[in-house]
Amino acid sequence: MSFQATAGTTGLFVVAAALRLLLFTAFPGLPNLLTGRVEISTPVTSFKRLQEGLFLYNHNVSPYDGGVYHQAPLLLPLFSLLPDPTIYPIFTYILYTLVDLLSANALFKIAESGEGGASRLYSSPRKEKRWSGYVVAALFLFNPFTIATCIGRPTSVFTTCAILHAVAKALSGNIFTSMLSLSFAAYLSMYPLLLLPPMVILAYDRTYNYKAPKSLAQLAGMCTLAVGVSLSLLFLSSYALTGSWEFLSSTYGIQLTLTDLTPNAGLWWYFFTEMFDSFRSFFLGVFWLHLSSYTPALTIRLRQQPLAVITLLLGIFAIFKPYPSIADTSLFLSLVPCFRHVFPLLRYSFVTASVVLYGTFLGPAFYHLWIYAGSGNANFFYAITLVWSLGLSLLVSDLAFAVLRDEWEVERPEMRGKEIRQI
Amino acid sequence: MPTVQSFSGLRARSYVFRLPLFTRLILLAIVVLWLVGIQSAWDLRKWGALIPDEMNFFTAYRMNTFPLIHLNLLHALLNLLALTPLLERFESEYGTLTSAAMFFGPLTTIPALAYVFLERVIFRVNTPHVGVPAALGGGDADVQDQPVLRHRDGAGADLDDPLVMAFVTAALIPSTSFLGHLCGVGTGYLFGLGYLKFIAPPEKILRWIEGKLNLLGRLPHYVSVDQKTYGRFGVLPSSSSTARSCRRRPPYISLLLIVVGVAWLFMLPLNDYSRRTYISENALLPGQVHTYFGGSDQNVLRAYRHEISALENKTNTEVNDKLEHMFRSMGLKVGRQNYTYTTSGNTVAGENVYAILQAPRGDATEAIVLVAAWRNVQGEFNRNGLAVALALTRYFKRWSLWSKDIILVVPPDSRAGTQAWVDAYHDSHDSRRVADLPIKGALAIDYPQEERFEGVHIVYDGINGQLPNLDLINSVTNIASGQMGMGSSIQHMFHHNDQYRDRLTCMLRGMVNQGLGHAVGPHSSFIPYHVDAITIQPVGQGWHDEMGLGRLIEGTFRSLNNLLEHLHQSFFFYLLMQKERFVSIGTYLPSAMLIAANFTITAIALWVKTGHAPKTDTTKETKDAKEKNETTDAKKADQKSEKTPASVERELYLPLSLVTGCQFLGFVPLFVFNHAPASLLAPLFVVVTLLSLALPHALSFFLVTTYKPTHQQYQLITSFFLLLLGMFLSTLATLNFSLAFLVGLLATPLTFVRPFPKLPAAGYAYSALLSVLNPGVVVLSAAVATTTLQGSSGLGLGVVGVTPWEAIQKVLEEGAFGWGVVGDVYAAYLLVRLVPCLVGG
Repeated sequence: MSFQATAGTTGLFVVAAALRLLLFTAFPGLPNLLTGRVEISTPVTSFKRLQEGLFLYNHNVSPYDGGVYHQAPLLLPLFSLLPDPTIYPIFTYILYTLVDLLSANALFKIAESGEGGASRLYSSPRKEKRWSGYVVAALFLFNPFTIATCIGRPTSVFTTCAILHAVAKALSGNIFTSMLSLSFAAYLSMYPLLLLPPMVILAYDRTYNYKAPKSLAQLAGMCTLAVGVSLSLLFLSSYALTGSWEFLSSTYGIQLTLTDLTPNAGLWWYFFTEMFDSFRSFFLGVFWLHLSSYTPALTIRLRQQPLAVITLLLGIFAIFKPYPSIADTSLFLSLVPCFRHVFPLLRYSFVTASVVLYGTFLGPAFYHLWIYAGSGNANFFYAITLVWSLGLSLLVSDLAFAVLRDEWEVERPEMRGKEIRQI
Repeated sequence: MPTVQSFSGLRARSYVFRLPLFTRLILLAIVVLWLVGIQSAWDLRKWGALIPDEMNFFTAYRMNTFPLIHLNLLHALLNLLALTPLLERFESEYGTLTSAAMFFGPLTTIPALAYVFLERVIFRVNTPHVGVPAALGGGDADVQDQPVLRHRDGAGADLDDPLVMAFVTAALIPSTSFLGHLCGVGTGYLFGLGYLKFIAPPEKILRWIEGKLNLLGRLPHYVSVDQKTYGRFGVLPSSSSTARSCRRRPPYISLLLIVVGVAWLFMLPLNDYSRRTYISENALLPGQVHTYFGGSDQNVLRAYRHEISALENKTNTEVNDKLEHMFRSMGLKVGRQNYTYTTSGNTVAGENVYAILQAPRGDATEAIVLVAAWRNVQGEFNRNGLAVALALTRYFKRWSLWSKDIILVVPPDSRAGTQAWVDAYHDSHDSRRVADLPIKGALAIDYPQEERFEGVHIVYDGINGQLPNLDLINSVTNIASGQMGMGSSIQHMFHHNDQYRDRLTCMLRGMVNQGLGHAVGPHSSFIPYHVDAITIQPVGQGWHDEMGLGRLIEGTFRSLNNLLEHLHQSFFFYLLMQKERFVSIGTYLPSAMLIAANFTITAIALWVKTGHAPKTDTTKETKDAKEKNETTDAKKADQKSEKTPASVERELYLPLSLVTGCQFLGFVPLFVFNHAPASLLAPLFVVVTLLSLALPHALSFFLVTTYKPTHQQYQLITSFFLLLLGMFLSTLATLNFSLAFLVGLLATPLTFVRPFPKLPAAGYAYSALLSVLNPGVVVLSAAVATTTLQGSSGLGLGVVGVTPWEAIQKVLEEGAFGWGVVGDVYAAYLLVRLVPCLVGG
């Protein structure tokens, strides 16, 4: 299988890249159209805003002047290396296609490791039923959400790539590379920092030596140190690049305080447009607390299956983070196929798929009614983001259920195949 | 159930204290009635007993009272003993409400009826004082017992209890009726075994009642519907009745939804469902100003008409030169705009001319537009319309009260020209020449007729079925009929008698126009840009002259001039059924949604069905499969039957890829129709129609021969198609109600696609029906995406040049949506063909 797979991935990658480049070139209006969609571009990832920052940066003005650009400073030198995307867009296209392929490669390794079905402490009775890395990578590459994200060119694809590589490296035992990758992800969009605990456990489990077991605390300390050092290095270089610490408040501050209330697929913006100012800081605290509370809870409960923790957390982030987009959804959906073995245990797969589909189609329609036709209002779009989030949270909870049920059936083999109900 | 061996005082006490509400009430009622029965003044037993000969319509109450009345103390005691544990168990399993409903409903009446029937018809006797009470005791007994039994797998004692009790009672107490008890016991068993499940009240209603009355909070010992324990085990009775009903009911539910949806639409014209129109925006104040257009302006108008008549056969440029000159002489700022569109091999080019009257009192931030196209949509020369517009503009120039700029646009035709102008205005890619102010409203004049007129016809349909704010239409109607004394009409209903029939016709015409979503006048192009616009056409033979029309427009402009913000108060989604009567979206949307929901329900039902492969089906399928292919399919089916019947893994790859492929196939005709030259459209249309007829057969043949899909896969294919169809339709319904409704209605037969294993002829008949529908749908699809003109040219009814705005239109989201739908319908036909073909062949 493995040699076939490696032979196959080349073909797969070529086809996926060709499809992307074809879409880029055959429909020249498409990239800009998708860049403008709120479902794809958020204030902290938008390609348009990146160009604004780039312009300012190239003219020796602080990119954060004007309050449009909210992304990490190190993206600027990367993009200023490329020719101007308005004149030679092909280089940007190639860059984004490459990033997608890199993510798919990492995903391939993740799926091939078989960690989804069998970790160090837990081996699912259903683990034989799994998809090869080839299928998982294909599902990622040909997922319409991923393709739309790639063509819309938000910078969240870099975060996606970094997270997937962090997981892949942790699985292959390269702890420091993994932590470096995670630091990059955290540097780009902050929230991946919450993935540190499960990532440490994943790395610990994969490097566990039965003859000379190391302590988890020791490894956790090392990992935290590694992340801390690499993040500080990244911050220092950013400081050197922009000449001030302004970027901290303009990138991470925006996410923490949600000062930009551009509509997006998430749940925060509407809530905070309605909010009285005096309650704002309180609810910001509550929302962030809520978001971060899942990490310890899931890590403890699913200690035996760290990859499941990471997947579920990514799903939760795709719903509850301050500026979610379909890029986050596609990242979550890319890891879900690693749990092919629990798919028979999913109870709401049809409902979930229908709700997500409805959300996908009604979202743009309602946004159109609100913004362009003028015959709807903000509530229309917000209602559909609620539906969308409902669909995703159904998937997250259903997956969590399936994973737990799988564990439970190991304890209670006599309950296999029986329907259960909590009373 | 307490038995003698395990009896202990403490447990009995706690058991009594834990008795749920309804059980307590019944016990209390039995005791009280027994006490009442002691006195001899009024013969309670005679009043309440179930006496076969006395049963008639007026004594039907006996069917409910008989269980509560007993012959004597011993009888009452025995029944209490038998009843209490059983009723308690029943109640804690099914909830208080259900128990009450069942007790007073089927579980007493059915034994009662059976008993009366047996006594009167079969045995032809009339046992006096018949075995009234314990019939119920027994009846209920099993009722409670059975579910428990099923879960416990055995427990013979439980089963025997009611029967034993019945014997004991019959033996101990003379003149009770053993037969009556047996009837009760029998009913109980039937219910317990699930045959009478259908008579149980639906949980949803009970839950609703419970929630509304807050019973749980108010009543002590109340057992909620949700609290019920399903036999006190955490295991759901997963198979059997619910799943079975799930599989049988959906076709009927779907049919019901369709019928209700259509009936709903036909209810709308009734007074109870539609509303009178009203002016919602107070600032409009329609008809509240004096209009002064008249007097010497009539001479001006005649002069302009004379000049325009002289230009009738001149070229576009010459006309515009002259018009520019006239505008300049009025003292207006003038601009000209060239445009070129290419569609279907035709090139439409022209030049718009427009004049801006700058607001004397405003800060030049808003504008109102008056459109007078050189030719109207039918291609008639708009002589009077243009003359009125010119005279009005000249007249407006004299007034100092305008707070908004007034822009007069004269495009050479009614569609492309206006579209080009509006596009340029809003995209402002020509911003040096066009003032870029938000337009508050636009009015187009379409007055080609020479004579005086009777009333005005208001055209309001926009591109893609979008509508202007209802306030604008109301204002014009209000001014026309209230102030000017003109008639006004909509949707070509010039003689509207405001009766049901006319209202319905008017509404349906509006829906067809909206569904087609094409431009019906110069105003249509404005509406997608969120500019409320209408066209006014004078119609009929009457005594109103051009000056009346001018005053009407003056009045409307004065109203629009008052606006402080965009029209937003009134409705954007409505169906007009008379100029003064409408239904709003909340009232009419359900009908389209119901039709869309019917697809979704069937899709869900099919999905559920594929998950629960029933044994009969599997074996049958195994047979079928064996006949066709002995190796693969049989193996699959065997695997299936080996697994638990509760859930079966679904084979998704083939259905998913087929559905996705077909959806994309739907884009092919769209591309073809939009890029083919006009001369080729008619043959192309025929080709595509033929292909669409043949493709399903071909595909199903291909599928059957190569992949040998299983029954489950067929169901999945159908399920996915219907799901997508339902989704597209409900999305579409929010954007263009009428289109969604019409397409949904045409697609309804898809819901009932079933394999006809026994009747191949029926399968063929059904596919023939679908084939008949197919061209209709394709024509509709052509109409949706490339507008009616192409459709009609495709049909060879009249070759009309394809106008350019279609090219723009197809880009619009709605067109794409329409195509999504059509693609789906199209693709869904494939599947329709698949199933009958397989089974027939």
